Amino acid sequence: MLGWIARGLAQRRVTTRYPQAPERPIDAFHGPLLVLEASGADRELEWLCPTGAITVDSRRRVTLDRGRCIQCGECVRAAPHRFAFAQRYETAARHRQALSVGAGDDSQPRADRAVLAARARPLRRSIHVRHIDTGSDGAEEWEIQALWNPYYDIQRLGFFLTAAPRHADILLATGVVTPPMRAPLERTWEVMPEPKALVAVGTDACSGGLSAQDGSSYSGIDAVLPVDVYVPGSPPAPIAILEGLLLAVGLLGDST
Amino acid sequence: MTLVLGIATGTLLVAPFTAITSDRLAAAINTTGCGLLVVVGLAAALGQSRPVLDFGGWFGFGHSALRVDGMAGIFLAITGVSGAATALAAVERPPGRWLTALGCVLVLTTTGAIEADNAFLFLLAWELLAVCIYLIASAGRERPEQLLEGYFTAGLTKLGGAALLAAFALLYGHTHTFSLAVWAHSSLSGSTRGILFALLLIAFATKIGVLPLQGGLPAGYSAAPRLGAAWLSVALSAGYYGLWRFVFATVGPLPTWCGDATLIVGALTAVTGIAYAITQDDLRRFLGYSTVEHAGIVLLGFGVALLGQTAHNRDLAAAGLLAASLHVCAHNLAKTLALIGIDHVEAQTGERSLDRLGGLGRRSRLGAAAVGAASLTLAAIPPLGGFVSEWFTFEALLQGFRMPALLSRLLCALAAAALAFTAGLGLLAFAKYYGFIFLGVARAKLPRIRSTPTPAVSMGVLGIIVLFLGTAAPWEIHALGSGLAGTLGFDPSDSVISHPLVLGPVFADFSVLAPTWLTIIIPAYATLAFIIARSRRNAPPRSAPVWVTGSAANLAAVQYRPSAYSNPMRVILRGPLGYRSRIIPARDGDPDPRPVLQRTVVSAVDRYVYAPVIDAALAVSAAARRLQSGHLSVYLLYMLVALILGLALIPVLR
Amino acid sequence: MSLAEPRHEIAGYLPEHLGAVRQPGPAGELRLQVTALGFARSSQMLHRAGARFVTLLLAQAPEPAIQGAFAMRGDLVVLSAPVNAGETPTYTALGPWWPAAQWSEQELADRHGVHPVGLVAIPNLVHPDADACDQSIAGLDVFSLPYGPVRSGVFEAIQFLIETGGEDVTRVATRPFFKHRGLERRVVGMTPTEAVHVTERIAGISGVAYALAFCHAVERALGIEVPARAERWRAVHAELERMANHLDVIAKQAETAALSVGQARFQILKERVQRLRATLTGSRFGRGALTPGGVRSEPTVSREELLAEIDSLERELRSDRRRFLRTASMTDRLIGTGRLPRSLAEDYASVGPVARGSGVSTDARHERPYGEYRRLGLEVVTHRTEDAMSRVLVRFGELTESLRILRQAIGHLNRNGAGLSAPIPFDAGGYAFGWAEAAQGEVVIRVELCDGLISRLHVASPSLRNWALFDQAFPQDVLTDFAFIEHSFGLSPAGADR
Repeated sequence: MLGWIARGLAQRRVTTRYPQAPERPIDAFHGPLLVLEASGADRELEWLCPTGAITVDSRRRVTLDRGRCIQCGECVRAAPHRFAFAQRYETAARHRQALSVGAGDDSQPRADRAVLAARARPLRRSIHVRHIDTGSDGAEEWEIQALWNPYYDIQRLGFFLTAAPRHADILLATGVVTPPMRAPLERTWEVMPEPKALVAVGTDACSGGLSAQDGSSYSGIDAVLPVDVYVPGSPPAPIAILEGLLLAVGLLGDST
Repeated sequence: MTLVLGIATGTLLVAPFTAITSDRLAAAINTTGCGLLVVVGLAAALGQSRPVLDFGGWFGFGHSALRVDGMAGIFLAITGVSGAATALAAVERPPGRWLTALGCVLVLTTTGAIEADNAFLFLLAWELLAVCIYLIASAGRERPEQLLEGYFTAGLTKLGGAALLAAFALLYGHTHTFSLAVWAHSSLSGSTRGILFALLLIAFATKIGVLPLQGGLPAGYSAAPRLGAAWLSVALSAGYYGLWRFVFATVGPLPTWCGDATLIVGALTAVTGIAYAITQDDLRRFLGYSTVEHAGIVLLGFGVALLGQTAHNRDLAAAGLLAASLHVCAHNLAKTLALIGIDHVEAQTGERSLDRLGGLGRRSRLGAAAVGAASLTLAAIPPLGGFVSEWFTFEALLQGFRMPALLSRLLCALAAAALAFTAGLGLLAFAKYYGFIFLGVARAKLPRIRSTPTPAVSMGVLGIIVLFLGTAAPWEIHALGSGLAGTLGFDPSDSVISHPLVLGPVFADFSVLAPTWLTIIIPAYATLAFIIARSRRNAPPRSAPVWVTGSAANLAAVQYRPSAYSNPMRVILRGPLGYRSRIIPARDGDPDPRPVLQRTVVSAVDRYVYAPVIDAALAVSAAARRLQSGHLSVYLLYMLVALILGLALIPVLR
Repeated sequence: MSLAEPRHEIAGYLPEHLGAVRQPGPAGELRLQVTALGFARSSQMLHRAGARFVTLLLAQAPEPAIQGAFAMRGDLVVLSAPVNAGETPTYTALGPWWPAAQWSEQELADRHGVHPVGLVAIPNLVHPDADACDQSIAGLDVFSLPYGPVRSGVFEAIQFLIETGGEDVTRVATRPFFKHRGLERRVVGMTPTEAVHVTERIAGISGVAYALAFCHAVERALGIEVPARAERWRAVHAELERMANHLDVIAKQAETAALSVGQARFQILKERVQRLRATLTGSRFGRGALTPGGVRSEPTVSREELLAEIDSLERELRSDRRRFLRTASMTDRLIGTGRLPRSLAEDYASVGPVARGSGVSTDARHERPYGEYRRLGLEVVTHRTEDAMSRVLVRFGELTESLRILRQAIGHLNRNGAGLSAPIPFDAGGYAFGWAEAAQGEVVIRVELCDGLISRLHVASPSLRNWALFDQAFPQDVLTDFAFIEHSFGLSPAGADR
């Protein structure tokens, strides 16, 4: 046991300073998709995307729905002048519509990190988080678990994991909502006390991702319950989930 | 007071006969008699008067009388309170004429034994009590095993009666009188005292349930019909009185080994009793084993008293005897209350298995409150009476360093540890018992709750007494101290009660306890916490469905079951408990096609003592049946042989 | 397409009268056609000869048939029993004498309308009901404890119905398929290049291995040779994924034993592996790296940087491993916990670290080597103590082995630099099995291609096969051992449910 203590003391700090300081992503990280050039597109562009995230309107302008994008990169490889991966982790948004982006549109009303930082600092009461998986691929769970590892350590911001939804303030929901998980999802949400916030984590949770097809019932959390914060990504990076949590904290009332 | 005693005795005498006309009337008369007994007992204990009902030489075995001295007063008061409560419960919900009559006789004989100043009179009352217990224990006819349980209880009682007879014969042989007053001053050799101690311990152990003769209690409680178990509990005080009167006051001071043996037996009884109680599923057997546990705790205090008496340390003797007396009082009242409450639960639900009950608290608030008060006392929760008496017992054991013999000191320390262990297990046991009956939701669909008359007055009055027994501890100790002064040679309550309402063991400056103040402070804190919690709440409470990890499973099916709750304890104590677990595959044709997980607990005493004895008894009775040929001539032959043998014995005995 | 040498020793296990006909197939896949009546009998023969059950499925190409795949001595023996189109496919169930086949058969019956005669019915398996908690054991003590589908902590949805008589676990019934997303059907009509995105997401935590098995199946079906350089990168991605999974299991064991610093240390190592994967592929889960025919792109990181990171990981792992194994409060919880006798592991055809922890030496990389593993020596790590500790030790051993493989594969990267991927024919057809060893065990995927599009996909997930065995892993254990045993299995519900 002493050995572990010594090992722990010898470990230098690895924890991120986000949200107080920005978190620089790893080189070559595939962040959310950017539309570089929207106009003059062909309808065929839509075929590039396996999840139908790309739409070309009648004026041949491209819109990309990040809520559907699984960051597979097919479009970036086929049309590098139109699409690119953004060099950042953050993907969260308060509204589903905000996830649809056009050209040069990363200036969308993004969450202000300074506001989030201010929200995190004076947390007077701790926030208890409950998680539910309604049919994810398992990667989102790893990224949520990672939030409690020393690199992200969100307990420093007052976030705690709780087993009992009756104690939870925020519900992190992942997955496409399979039929057997629909009732448990509703049940979990029902027993949570007010005020509460629902965060959909991952593209699967935002829209059903790859599982969503015409006529399929797998179309994400907001087909069942009203979602407060969307964190798209396949899977979203831990920082993105943290951003989503901080956005959700703003909805809980007296903690800002 | 003599007049009151006379009226009380007369009332008690009349009561059984009135049962012929009305059981309610008999119970009411019995209640009155018991109430008068409390008055007489308290007056005697406090030294106000020493009433005597003189019979002269009427019984033919020398001068005899009903005499209430201080010690008898204490036990008379205890019997009176628990007897009155039980009789009152019988008034409120009559259990039938036969049982009411038996209950009246039981109270009469119990008080008779306590009041007797003549050993013959004591024996007479004792034997009548034994018959009465047998009749109550075998009055139930609902289940086939009740009969065997009744016989078993009676058999053990007979064994105790035989030991008592032998002890009295021995004492008579030395003193040539049956007067208890003379016996108390007789000079006996150490070895005679030792033998007497052993015989008397056996005699009273069968009544109060001391290892290895505890079997009659759980069996009797289980076999007895409505309210019968509560009546049996009333009779316990006769057994304790016997220990006090004969072992401590008559044959003491005893050799050191007697005190040591008492401590060992007490510790074993306490731990075993509660360990078995935890594993019980039957409502009444649980209480039976809990009684065994408390008998063990009483013996721990009593053991210290015996050792103190041996060492001629009267403070030590007083500390032990006072603790034991306090515990007898707390336990008797609380156990009677628990049995009345459980009787009510049984009447309501028709169910005796802990496993099938649950959530009754909402249906029967008074029953829940009564059993709750009793459970808290029996589980020794401060500041209730059970805690006060166990604290005194613990403190008495901690005085072990004052003992002259090293072995006694060691045993006191070990016994203190055993007492702490017992108290811990007791908490677990009663958490299970109370929780699984009254809290949560029902685990099985019970037949519709029957509306039966609630014994509200009896449970209410006794409940209040039990609840505030700890609060009233200073006054209780005052009464006990003055009652025991005659036996101890001084009144220990003067050194126990120091500052206003602050208690300590007999030895000054050892440690202190103020249950009266605790009664005020603990609820005050609870109220304060409640008020603070209330004032900070900004949203009204909202009820949400119970969380079962996202499933909407049937709550009754996914709850912990009582036996499962106590399973870790069974596994830890698997050796002494004789725990076995196995899965029996289902056979073809079983109504339930599932395999069965069977877990059994067979006590070492049951397996190695009772089972062989019962087998032997059954074998002997089978053999005896062969002698009964039915021919008149053969029976005449038996009589002739018996006569010749009897005549042959005369010269031998001469 | 290279035909393997005829394996007389295997065909010899099937007597003449069963009429097994050998059909051509790619290397390592021994295709035998039998009659529907002879299917069960032939399977039994293979079982006796020591074959390991892999999966049962309903194939459509080259003809509608019930197919059984069995692993046997370097071959995947595929028994194929044609069925008449338009009739309910039927055959004699294997489950009654081969426990490993039971779940597979139930799925075949419930999802594909096959009628196995004499099926060992497992109610609520394929279509789980979170609310049902029927007890299978009677008794005064026994009650059911549904654990899941919303479990404490951040875990995937699965339900365990625990029957307990108080503290000790009397019986466990695992209920998977809460998150069945129908991914096998989803890929129908996709091109292989597109479908690889779906297979990466069958089990997100083992995406590379699933994608690899899928790519192998496509490549074998179409007879594509993958460039050696691509195979090396595939091995790098696969081994990094294995490391992340094993480190995750060990961190969770430390967490369950409340060994905070140990937990933090292994989480740090895992996060470093994940970040390394992001540096190499852009995705923390190596997504988008693989494509049928090769790999999509080559990382820009220099080999020296990579090797330096691997050296540093190895140094830290070695010291943390030593400390972990010396911490009695940790190892006490694992030693003797969740014992799985070897015979049981064989009966249930378990794979991966679960099998290797019970002394069964099975590893797809070794039995039927593929890609870079044909050129690298591989030591299959096994332990024989059969408990949770054994399974953890297997993982520690494999971590070391993974680091060694990584170093070798990266070392070989300077050799020939020919292309990163072979082209996929635009409108080809074919069918084949492909496999790869995931951290959970061997993934086997069967693909049918028609006109360049996927017409059928079947995934045999290691998680599902091992979960059937999980129910048996509580011989003497109590409720508090549950988490240790579950983590020691290290399975993926998403992979099992598909």
